[in-house]
Amino acid sequence: MAQMILKMILNGKPVERRISPGDTLLDVLRGDLGLSGTKKGCGRGECGACTVIMNGKAVNSCIVPAPRAMNARIETIEGIGTVEKLHPLQETFIHCGAIQCGFCTPGMIMSAKALLDKNSNPTREEIKEAVAGNICRCTGYVKIEEAIMMAAEMIKRERRK
Amino acid sequence: MKKPAVIGKNVRKLDALEKAMGTATFTTDISLPGMLYGKVLRSPYPHAKIINIDTGKAEKLPGVEAVVCYKNTPRVKFNTSATSTFTIPPLEPVEDQYIFDSVVRYVGDEVAAVAAVSEKIAEQALKLIEVEYEELPAVFDPLEAMEPGAPDLHGPCRAGKNIPGEKIHLELGDIEKGFAEADEIFEHTFKLPVQKQAQMETQAAVAQVTADGRVTVWSTTQTPHPSRRIIATIFGLPYSKVRVLNPPYIGGGFGVRIGLSAKAEPIAVALAMQAKKPVKVVYSRREDFIASDTRHSGYVTVKTGVKKDGTFTARQMEGILNAGAYCSWSAETPGVLGAMGLSVYRCPNQMYDGHSVYTNTTPAGAMRGFGNPQAMFAIESQIDIIAEKLGIDPLEIRLKNIMQPGDKWVLPYPCRSSGLAECIKKGAAAINWQRRGKFDKTGTKRRGLGVGIGTHVSNAWPFCGDYSNAYVTIQQDGSAHLAAGVPDMGTGTVTTLAQITAEVLGISYEKIGVTFADTESTPFEIGSHASRTCYASGMAVVAAARDAKKQILDYAAEMLEVEAGDLDIENDTVVSTSNPEIKAPLSEVAVQAHLKGRQFIGVGKIIPENAPPWLAHFAEVEVDTETGQVKILKMVAAHDVGKAIHPQIVEGQLHGGLAQGIGYALGEEIKYNDKGRQLNDGFHKYMLPTAVDIPELKAIIVEAEEPSHPYGVKGVGETGLVATAPAIANAIYNAIGVRFFELPITAEKVYRALKE
Repeated sequence: MAQMILKMILNGKPVERRISPGDTLLDVLRGDLGLSGTKKGCGRGECGACTVIMNGKAVNSCIVPAPRAMNARIETIEGIGTVEKLHPLQETFIHCGAIQCGFCTPGMIMSAKALLDKNSNPTREEIKEAVAGNICRCTGYVKIEEAIMMAAEMIKRERRK
Repeated sequence: MKKPAVIGKNVRKLDALEKAMGTATFTTDISLPGMLYGKVLRSPYPHAKIINIDTGKAEKLPGVEAVVCYKNTPRVKFNTSATSTFTIPPLEPVEDQYIFDSVVRYVGDEVAAVAAVSEKIAEQALKLIEVEYEELPAVFDPLEAMEPGAPDLHGPCRAGKNIPGEKIHLELGDIEKGFAEADEIFEHTFKLPVQKQAQMETQAAVAQVTADGRVTVWSTTQTPHPSRRIIATIFGLPYSKVRVLNPPYIGGGFGVRIGLSAKAEPIAVALAMQAKKPVKVVYSRREDFIASDTRHSGYVTVKTGVKKDGTFTARQMEGILNAGAYCSWSAETPGVLGAMGLSVYRCPNQMYDGHSVYTNTTPAGAMRGFGNPQAMFAIESQIDIIAEKLGIDPLEIRLKNIMQPGDKWVLPYPCRSSGLAECIKKGAAAINWQRRGKFDKTGTKRRGLGVGIGTHVSNAWPFCGDYSNAYVTIQQDGSAHLAAGVPDMGTGTVTTLAQITAEVLGISYEKIGVTFADTESTPFEIGSHASRTCYASGMAVVAAARDAKKQILDYAAEMLEVEAGDLDIENDTVVSTSNPEIKAPLSEVAVQAHLKGRQFIGVGKIIPENAPPWLAHFAEVEVDTETGQVKILKMVAAHDVGKAIHPQIVEGQLHGGLAQGIGYALGEEIKYNDKGRQLNDGFHKYMLPTAVDIPELKAIIVEAEEPSHPYGVKGVGETGLVATAPAIANAIYNAIGVRFFELPITAEKVYRALKE
């Protein structure tokens, strides 16, 4: 099979990887890039567990053909915070009890981040809309929505400083 | 009792940081050197005999390293559920399946499996396996499967045509006398759908076999110890040479892997043994739908005798459940259905008969609630019918009849605590119940309020055996390590067990380390199911921590030259209760003991009692009479959970249960076509709730004192969806005056009913 070199800016750093034409962006991330934080829940773009941010937009990486990510800016759960400085969403997901099994969490956080990056003052409805493509079977979504609201507040406070 | 230092507080969950950062390891994330990828060939027919299977071409495909089918795998029968581990004589476990068989009994049944260097090659190889089938007659409905002409799925069954295990019969008082005393008798039959657990991580296992035959399996199981027994039995190995563990996280469970993760574990082991390399098997979402247990569908009939004043004189129930093609938990589920259904209301004369029936559909097994939601949809719908006929308020008839501590019931353990009346009253206040009956009935959007109540268990006994063990080891620096075999599938088990350890020992929560869900480093423990982990595993942890504490205090008494009975541990310090000046940091006690060659190792071994949690669910709905659409405006769930060790975790369990209950009520259903194929085998065809479908959810925690547990804990994991569906159905009736006897109540059904 013909192979090609995929170049992208992954979590702020340029990377190059050899890919096969059938590969999805998720295959590349979870494959030899070793970024297993992005999960595969269905492989058909129906559950959102594989959500990453591509050029500022939340996408289901399991249905993005890898070549489509050529020269794109990709953000994954591994790139948004550190133990010393968590992203506000990571902070509030922990604080609010928005994490149960944790399998939807990375995708959920990335969908929420894509929203908050554009709109740090979302309504509850806008939050629901933003994560409507992310299935969580554990939490009933209530604490997830609370966590996103609280993260929005944190981000606003940080900006005011 | 001392004021608790750790329990009752929302401490930071031990698993949350890793999960928030994406560094938590799940089975699907595991990669080992030389690891192969396993894929499964599944039956396209609902019932067929394999006349011939030729794997030659698949074996020759470059990159393929193992091909297995019924010809080269153990002919040892088992049950994928953990049931065979706990079935207590004289009952016998139903072991009715092989890893692969020469007969396939549902669309999706395992025919063969391949291990190859990549998933793509494994998938190509599946297409090269040539199978010749002879189709056999198939049956999909449990009532039809009991007819004389229906095919026998597993040959003759001793309890009746296609009936796995035993028929369940429960009885209290004199049912005939009870009906004779009644002023009115009500009888209704309800139909329940197939619901899917739809946990986010599909069934998965990674198996590694060493040259000398030791087997390690990382998997998504909720019960590592029972799963080890099943795997060791299939492959004829000593239990001590098989290790089953979570890695350590599981992407949800909801009952779907109490026992094996469908067949991921034995298939991975069979492939790994043949290939002599590690093999990873991850089910696709479609496989997870079609070839992994579902909730039981079926029929529940309730007949109730009642006095004019609303007093129940007799209740008779019958449950007939669809087992699907293999037994799994189908022998136990009808028992829980009947026992829970009959234990909510005091009624002197009760009877239940129930069983499952094999059909050529995906096996039904455990799902959160385990028969109880089926029972309560029927009972709670009927209670409202009775209340209306007698002109009594739905809350009043419930409050008048609910079980009280000390009442007689069908269960072999006593009802020792109930906060149900408080749940009903607090829930009613939160939903503003007095508005009921005062909504405007003229427009196209009609509002209604409904209620449903129920109970559940706090562990699996008496429905099967139940016990737990744990070790607590004090480290040389005064920190403590807990080893418990129970998984944490997102329910906060590890956090709550660490809280309990810290509480008993007087050690800071931050100093508790936990190993969990690993058969090699923990003593036998059943696992995470039956709402039992905080109650039963928690009891073992209390016992282990108390044992360790006693050893610490005995040693410290010698060190400090005081009586051990005078000592306690607070804030990581051993201190005299009569003279606070006499004290020693636990770190000092531990290191002194260490230097003298001693370590404090606590062992906890318990056989739990059982205890009833209680719940009252309230729904406010708005029905669009033009479209049939039901919108839930608010749900309130008031739960007596005993002592809430971590209230935030409890709320999370209740919210999650409610969401699944809302799905059960309004949208979730797997249907089959006439060829036995699932019509709803993926997320886009199976309508489970997303964030936009979930209304405001209010969880209210009621803490009735439960004497059977050292901290007064009761079960909570499953209760969140026990009465959600009837609360919604009753609210819909209140809104539009239409009674539904079948779930889910889809917009189409509402629309049709309104047109009629």
